[in-house]
Amino acid sequence: MFFLNLSLAQFLGLLGAGSALVVALYLLDRSRRREVVSTLQFWIAARRAPETRRRRRIQQWPSLVLQLLSLALLLAALGDLRVGQRGAQYRDHVLVLDTSAWMAARVNGHALIEQARELARAWLRRLPAGDRVMLVRADALATPATPFTTDRALLDQAIARSEPSATALRLDRALAFADHARRGSGSAGEIVLIGAGRIVPEGAGETPPLPGALRFLEVRGDPENCGLRDIVLQRTREDPSVWQVLVKVRNYGQREQVRRLALAFGGAPVGSALLRLPPDSEQEASFSIRARAAGWLEVRLLGRDALSQDDEAVLELPAVRPARVLVYTRQPELFRPLFSASPWVRAEFRSPEAYQAGAPGDVVVLDRFCPPALPQAHSIWLDPPLEGAPVAVRQSLAQASLARWRTDHPVAAGLRTRDLMLTRVRVLAPAPGDVPVAEVEAGPVILARAAGTKMLVFGFHPLATAMRYEVTLPLLIANALRWMVPEAFARQEVRALSAGTLTLELGEEEAQGVRVVGDDGRTAPFTLEQNKLELFVSTPRQVRVLTSAGERVLSLTLPEVAAGRWKPPAGIRRGLPSGRVERRASLALWPWLALASGVCLWLEALLYGRLVRASAVQRKRFAWHLLVARWRQAGGTRP
Amino acid sequence: MPEQNWLNQRFLERLERLALRWRKSFPGLIGGRNPSRFGGPGMEFLDHRHFHHGDDLRAVNWRAYLRFEKLFLKIFRIEPHAPVRLLLDVSASMQVGKPSKFDYARQLAAALSYVALVRLDAMVLVPFADGLGSVLRCVGGRHRFAPVVEFLSELRPGGRTDFLETARQFVGRFPDRGMLIVISDFLDDADPIKALQYLADFGHELVLLQLWSEQDRVPPWEGRLDLVDAESGAVLELDFDSVARDEYTRAFDAYCDALRRVALANGGRYLGLPTSLDLEEAVFGLLTTAGAVQACSS
Repeated sequence: MFFLNLSLAQFLGLLGAGSALVVALYLLDRSRRREVVSTLQFWIAARRAPETRRRRRIQQWPSLVLQLLSLALLLAALGDLRVGQRGAQYRDHVLVLDTSAWMAARVNGHALIEQARELARAWLRRLPAGDRVMLVRADALATPATPFTTDRALLDQAIARSEPSATALRLDRALAFADHARRGSGSAGEIVLIGAGRIVPEGAGETPPLPGALRFLEVRGDPENCGLRDIVLQRTREDPSVWQVLVKVRNYGQREQVRRLALAFGGAPVGSALLRLPPDSEQEASFSIRARAAGWLEVRLLGRDALSQDDEAVLELPAVRPARVLVYTRQPELFRPLFSASPWVRAEFRSPEAYQAGAPGDVVVLDRFCPPALPQAHSIWLDPPLEGAPVAVRQSLAQASLARWRTDHPVAAGLRTRDLMLTRVRVLAPAPGDVPVAEVEAGPVILARAAGTKMLVFGFHPLATAMRYEVTLPLLIANALRWMVPEAFARQEVRALSAGTLTLELGEEEAQGVRVVGDDGRTAPFTLEQNKLELFVSTPRQVRVLTSAGERVLSLTLPEVAAGRWKPPAGIRRGLPSGRVERRASLALWPWLALASGVCLWLEALLYGRLVRASAVQRKRFAWHLLVARWRQAGGTRP
Repeated sequence: MPEQNWLNQRFLERLERLALRWRKSFPGLIGGRNPSRFGGPGMEFLDHRHFHHGDDLRAVNWRAYLRFEKLFLKIFRIEPHAPVRLLLDVSASMQVGKPSKFDYARQLAAALSYVALVRLDAMVLVPFADGLGSVLRCVGGRHRFAPVVEFLSELRPGGRTDFLETARQFVGRFPDRGMLIVISDFLDDADPIKALQYLADFGHELVLLQLWSEQDRVPPWEGRLDLVDAESGAVLELDFDSVARDEYTRAFDAYCDALRRVALANGGRYLGLPTSLDLEEAVFGLLTTAGAVQACSS
């Protein structure tokens, strides 16, 4: 005999608390109350002699015993008191079905998931009909597909709908979830894991903490598979039209494989390599491809193997977009070396007479020239004439030494040249919001203005002074262009990775203001800790990681194939149970206990309830009045 | 207590259609509405009598004189103004129960006073407990209603009820007969029946309005009780159950019946009003049905 829903201690605790409450209410019901009334004259007529016994003493033992008995029976019914052995009742099992990406691998024309489904159905058939089962689909996440149920049709349906996902199996998480679910149920049964035993490398070779009563049904077959693991594309610094491509390929099988890796851009082959892959190893191949226009790069691992999903990846490459600079000058030969040094800048030289305010360009350089209308793009003003200059001039100096740089401003970042003698220099008067970038002792000579379109004004001509021969000048112009057109110099990286958990190492300066945007334009959740960005993608998709230094396009379309193999410990049960076990359920007593509780309450009310007492007294009084009335009719007086 | 909490404007407008009604014949100045058996100047013919020296020649029946050559005088039924007094119980027992009997009594007294004022009846408000309290005479129309409200607002419940002493003082103070409205719970440890009979014997027309709260008639408690008398402070210890409650209610109803019999036997009226009953319903329903007030066309 045992309680299904309560332990003995819980039952006794509840019974004790309930009994104390019943006794307290019993005594309280018989306590005396003080009431103020209008008169006592009618009360005297209805007076009944007060009972002289102490109120804190129990006066009707049978009534109290009946109440307590009723309470005990009710609690026993709630606790589901059963007759029989505890282990004989039906059990709750958790069926963990491996739905990782590896389960899509095919052996002899059949996918591993089909074998797993058959095993699951076979195990279900050998289970007693009354046992409840919860189906959990396990990949990187553990997702319950059904609640605990005895409905075998529902379970069959859920098993049939289980398909391989894009992520690898996290065995520790799946088993922890299953154990938690099993403990939450009343009568714990088995945890049955059906899978190929391929888990992520973090758990490979190690045994995660195993729950008790674990059964492993192994999906047999050792598929030979090679697959793409990681593809990284970066533009070279020297030539933005050249992409460096790095491809990692892994052999997951037990035999050496020779596979050809082929790259095609816009349908045209651009690279190829023959890879010899030893068993359970990884190799890298690098390529350089030239592509100024946008397009699709296809990376293929030629040949057939067990898992075709990781043999191909397609990446979208963006077009090259250098910063376009319009230089209005009468001396283009002066500027040509300056702007042709960087492949990320495309300069165009025009005479001041050809000036157009809305001319297409990212940056406009005005050489000693004030246009009739301000340019609509960002602008660099070199020694502008007094009339029409965007900044007022405080004074003109024939010679002045450059005193300091505002190195915390992006334009002057990294510039340290001092004591540079400048001839014919104008000290500028900054307006509110203007930032002095470089100063002589008398005041600023280079001002930066960030309101609206960005503007940089020089109080001297850098190519007409000694700065022309300093390394400061190209650095200053490069900083100015990077400040005005940051997107043209942003680092661009395109990667193809597998779905699941992704970790990215970011630079110190990149970690500020990170955003992760999905291909649907919505912000994706991520964590950033110690410059490590982590995000989880359960289904194949493309995400963009936007940082202050640039943009990384991550094509998370490759399946996450686990490289590790789980070795089940010797102690756990393996294989299907030998035969169908039918258990005899213990006898549930709760309806009878609840009925008995009600009977006790009814008896107590019948024997000791107020209504019953009142009706008994009323019957006595009625008999007395009848007697008096008959006696009066006989001519007597009231006794 | 502000007036608007007692009687709202709509209720006062309805009250203006009512008038106090007495059944007994009282002598007095003409101008009332209730007919009297006393003869005098009036409109309705009552009787003839022989002419005596000093009688008004305008009342001589000259047709009878031409026929019988004797002087007969026509006598008419008079409708006199009768004094109306309202005895209001302010003893401590009136504040027992919810809603308060005292508040209900004050609202009822205010409503009847308003009816009397509108009909130009002379109303005297007399609070009492173990004797008569200070008296307010109100007469002269509805615009004199504010002093009534003020007077009732300043009343405070307290003291023991002594109907016998109250009746003795009342008879000594108001010797002329009239209509006497008593608003009380009539819960006096001494027998109030004698005192009421005494007042009736003196010639007053009694209108007994007995108020009770629900707990006065059907006590809600059960078990062991220590009962404290609100007026005397006496304590009674008893066991109380549904049987005793029935006994109690039976005794209470018998007492109310005795009060009713006293009122009816002396040509008066009796009305029992639980405080749970809406005041408007009490005035326009029970009081009108019992004949204490009547609807008037003017």
